[in-house]
Amino acid sequence: MNKAHDIAVTVNGAVHEAAVEPRLLLADFLRHTLGLTGTHVGCEHGVCGACTVLVDGDSARSCLMLAVQADGKRVETVESLGRIGQMNALQESFHKHHALQCGFCTPGMLMTATDLLKKYPLATDDDIRQGLSGNLCRCTGYEHIVRAIRAVVGK
Amino acid sequence: MKPPAFDYVAATSVDMAVAALAAAGSEAKIIAGGQSLMPMLNFRLIRPSVLVDINGIAALAYIEEAASGICVGALTRHYQLETSAVIGRHFPVLSCAMTHVAHLAIRNRGTIGGSLSHADPAAELPMLALLLDASLHIASASGTRTIAARDFFLDALTVDLASADILTAIVLPKLPPRTGWGFEEVARRHGDFALAAVAATLTVADDAISHARIALTGVGPTPLRAAEAEALLPGHPLDASLVGRAIEAARTAIAPETDLHASSDYRRHLAGVLTGRALAAAWRRAQTSAA
Amino acid sequence: MNDATEIHARPKIVGARIKRTEDPRLLTGRGAFTDDRQPARVVHAAFRRSDQSHARIRAIDCAAARAAPGVIAVLTAGDLSDVKPLIAASRMANYHATPILPLAHGKVRYVGEPVVGVIAESRYQAEDALELIGIDYEPLPTVIDPEQAVRADAPLLHEKAGTNVLVAREFKHGDAEAALASAPVRVAGRFRMHRKTPVAIEARACLAEYDAASEALTLYSATQVPGIVSDAVAAALGLAGHQVRVVAPDVGGGFGGKGSLYPEEIFVCAAARRLGRPVKWTADRMEDLTANSQGFDEIADAELALDGDGRIVALRADVIGDVGAYSIYPWTAALEPVQVVSFLPGPYRVANYHGRVRGVATSKAPLGPYRGVGRPISTFVMERLMDMAAAKLGLDAKEIRLRNLVADSELPYKVASGIVWDKSGFHECLHAACAAIDYDAMRGRQKNGRAAGRWIGIGMASYAELTGIGSRISVAPGMPLNTGTETAIISIDPTGAVTAAFGVASHGQGLETTLAQVVAEHLGVRIEDIRIVQGDSAAIGAGSTGTYASRSMVLAGGAATLAAQAVRDKVLNAASHLLEAAAADLVAEDGTISVVGTDRRITFAEVAHAVYLDTVRLPPEARDELAATRTYDPVFGTTTSATHIAAVEIDPETYEIRIDRFVVAEDCGKLVNPLIVDGQVHGGVAQGIGAALYEEVIYDEQGQINTASLVDYLVPSACEIPPLHVVHLESSSPTTLGGFRGMGEGGTIGAPAALANAIADALSPLGIDINELPATPERLFRLIEAAKAKAKTKT
Repeated sequence: MNKAHDIAVTVNGAVHEAAVEPRLLLADFLRHTLGLTGTHVGCEHGVCGACTVLVDGDSARSCLMLAVQADGKRVETVESLGRIGQMNALQESFHKHHALQCGFCTPGMLMTATDLLKKYPLATDDDIRQGLSGNLCRCTGYEHIVRAIRAVVGK
Repeated sequence: MKPPAFDYVAATSVDMAVAALAAAGSEAKIIAGGQSLMPMLNFRLIRPSVLVDINGIAALAYIEEAASGICVGALTRHYQLETSAVIGRHFPVLSCAMTHVAHLAIRNRGTIGGSLSHADPAAELPMLALLLDASLHIASASGTRTIAARDFFLDALTVDLASADILTAIVLPKLPPRTGWGFEEVARRHGDFALAAVAATLTVADDAISHARIALTGVGPTPLRAAEAEALLPGHPLDASLVGRAIEAARTAIAPETDLHASSDYRRHLAGVLTGRALAAAWRRAQTSAA
Repeated sequence: MNDATEIHARPKIVGARIKRTEDPRLLTGRGAFTDDRQPARVVHAAFRRSDQSHARIRAIDCAAARAAPGVIAVLTAGDLSDVKPLIAASRMANYHATPILPLAHGKVRYVGEPVVGVIAESRYQAEDALELIGIDYEPLPTVIDPEQAVRADAPLLHEKAGTNVLVAREFKHGDAEAALASAPVRVAGRFRMHRKTPVAIEARACLAEYDAASEALTLYSATQVPGIVSDAVAAALGLAGHQVRVVAPDVGGGFGGKGSLYPEEIFVCAAARRLGRPVKWTADRMEDLTANSQGFDEIADAELALDGDGRIVALRADVIGDVGAYSIYPWTAALEPVQVVSFLPGPYRVANYHGRVRGVATSKAPLGPYRGVGRPISTFVMERLMDMAAAKLGLDAKEIRLRNLVADSELPYKVASGIVWDKSGFHECLHAACAAIDYDAMRGRQKNGRAAGRWIGIGMASYAELTGIGSRISVAPGMPLNTGTETAIISIDPTGAVTAAFGVASHGQGLETTLAQVVAEHLGVRIEDIRIVQGDSAAIGAGSTGTYASRSMVLAGGAATLAAQAVRDKVLNAASHLLEAAAADLVAEDGTISVVGTDRRITFAEVAHAVYLDTVRLPPEARDELAATRTYDPVFGTTTSATHIAAVEIDPETYEIRIDRFVVAEDCGKLVNPLIVDGQVHGGVAQGIGAALYEEVIYDEQGQINTASLVDYLVPSACEIPPLHVVHLESSSPTTLGGFRGMGEGGTIGAPAALANAIADALSPLGIDINELPATPERLFRLIEAAKAKAKTKT
């Protein structure tokens, strides 16, 4: 039971090889095995969205994936979007519009927004809100987050 | 909330998957999208000895149009169903329902096979499978079988699948021309499971209903077709009085549960309201749909 | 030409919409939250929590758990007998303290109470071991319903207290009973606000590191109150204050839920000292929903009496607060229930008042601070009564408030409970909110909509709160705890860089930025020259507790102002020698000191270099260390007020509620950063909407919690919160340095009342009152069915 599996996962462009037990959650693999603590864990049952990453380009809750399932896949976390002093347009828009307060839901919001911007036209603010409905924020009341995303739609 | 320990097999073919399931006896679980399974594992509500991962079976993800129907591979993701032009053309009611399913990240991973096999009493896809008279193809180590959706859902979270079975495909027969649809749902928040939802199709000929289907979810242990309500409709145009009688029949046909979020009485009330609205929408759409 | 004094007095940075200095690290995934820390050799704790609501612990069998893979230790209360209990002591009369231990001792009092702590190499292994522990419980009679628990014959949760009523208070002013009896108009109701939990997206986490060689304990904790936790840890573990350091790193939200001392914090400290390895515990969401402090659980029987002109003559209320299984440390069980009755009269003229409250213990997680603390309930009760009275008198909701809100000319006004409202714009907020929502047009729209069968409602709520309170009013009544001051330590180093240290602990409210704005303004440097240190009990002396009760901007901002001005004086003194000019002719701005009206200038870096290094350039009296420590006590604090107005429409068949408009007009004093103020209001209103429509902690009759996941405890998403429109009336507080007012909690105070009134307004043709929150579609269904049945029997 629980035999370790060898995996090779591309995370933010770099290949990581590791031997992991099957039950290790992808979120914990990213945070504790790889030390990429930008992805946050908020509920471990797929409701809050704080742990959202991109897997092969699609947003996914990393608390609902196993590290072994990421073998051979391409994972992108918030750390792939930009660096301090060199943030991407979405991050700059969040910064400008005060779309974060405590910052704990923010990586998940950014990864979800990244996927939404690719997949949906987001013609109305209601469309943005529906797209964000799987990412809970307790601090902002969502108003500034919606404005921040609105500002980069179509750009 | 970390999962208990288990072994793991990544299957690359249906044969490999059914063999792994058979070998593990009743202690194995299939993991596809994992959006329902993983929370149960993280809460330690289930303790499988082995997870058989079928995400690597690419041949199970497809949407194909044939003469009589659309065949959907069980591993097709919700997002693919949501955005499929083929589905949009033939089953707009399904396209609409998909936008109510959870949230994008869950739709990216969640699969139609997983949703039907899990059979949450308030999920949209099991209701749509009933509405569309889907037939389900199942594979096991001992061969394949086909089962109608109406025989598949047995009880809450309980379907006609043995522990070593895998759902492989869902066939959706095409709807007749001049068929309108309606989809109505009440949930506590956007993307939540339905407190109650109704999907309906009405096929019209000569200003009267020729064929009616009404399916409900969230109002009993399994989704259901409101057969008595459906039987009232053919041969008539949809007017207020007929809607009223159909609503009454639908309300009588269901045995909703009481839980934290809604009582049986309120669910029954919603079922009636949403049946009326879904029928009205289906009738409107049938008037303007192509012959 | 402007002189130096004028230039210094003109604000440039305070009041500006500056982007936050916290953001770059938080946006790029480089935040440092407690669980992110991974020191060498760290081990992980997990807790076996009680599944009984009230039971004696007969035996605990840990043998199998101890032998499980990866397990290092399994500890029960018996293993921690050297840890002293923490007691939220208070001088209040009619109060019973209840000792708090890291693990349950002798009996368990709520489902979720920690009983056994397992420490293992990984959290996964620790959870595996939890399942191997055997606990033999002897069930005791359940104590769940607060109205049963309050009775003299109820089973006791704390035998030593001799009662479940842990606190009782009464406020009397005038003769309410007599005034009620003779009043021409009376409205009354039984009001029920159901229990909430804060649900910060980061659940609690703590990590203790004990260095045996230097006997020093460091606790990283997702806490709002590092100063309080530090003192508590020292007391519990028998350590000297200088052996303990508590650091709140980046903290992912708090809302009061991280504003108390928790047993798990004491546990990890005791375990780290015992095991010689860092011990980390991170709550999972199930633990957060079952064992975090909860709030807003109040039942109020209240009655309002008015004269024929709709002017209030009396108010009476009898309140029961369900305070859960323990009196929370340090605030005591009195924290929320007493504020319900002390703030009930609100911003209105109430000559006769009788308010009584009992805080009763039941088998639930302890009640602690949650945003608004009692005032969301008092506002809900009072604002419902006002609307009920308006309806009875045929008055518009706005009109009845205009007749009763304390006028500017009457301020300062002493409330019946002794609270004093200083200058704040009660009437201005009401008028501004009505203007912002175009109130008369909305009423017109409602009239037309109603004629077409639509259920449209408009509801308003006016409230006042005390913020930034100083030493004269304690947040923890009667407790030996100083919540009335905060300290700032500002220093300039030899490179000219500024460090400003505070005892507050930001957890979303952007204090790193706003405190830097205040320091930059008053010191004369740029924001980027300043490093803000906060949330670290070792970086600040005594007299600092943390961030809670809407106090940080007032208290820390006041201290920052004083300290910055003191340091600037020293800088100017040194600069006056270097520039050969009188200090009074010098202006410090953007990191440069210049002589007014000339181009002679010098940088802060050059001054620092002279003061600390190239000292021959200055006489001794000009080489005073460029540092100052100042403590600020606002003494009383200040009044913050607002009016919220909600417009809703209810589906007349499904009873779903849609919020169409939500407006806030608030008087929160001098704004340091308008972006941040808006954000705080939005977030508070969102939690108020959650409290009004979605959130409820539900325990069954056996004390089992039914809302242990986010599928069942419903936190609103972006779809459930409408666009929010906020209007600021920026009247400087006359009582606080800088004119700041606290404003973090107003959103939850006004929103539930405004929504309750809006829903009641929408349903008023059916004669339905909304006196229970959350107002869910299920509750509306029951009310509407009952009203319809009643209407049928009448015809």
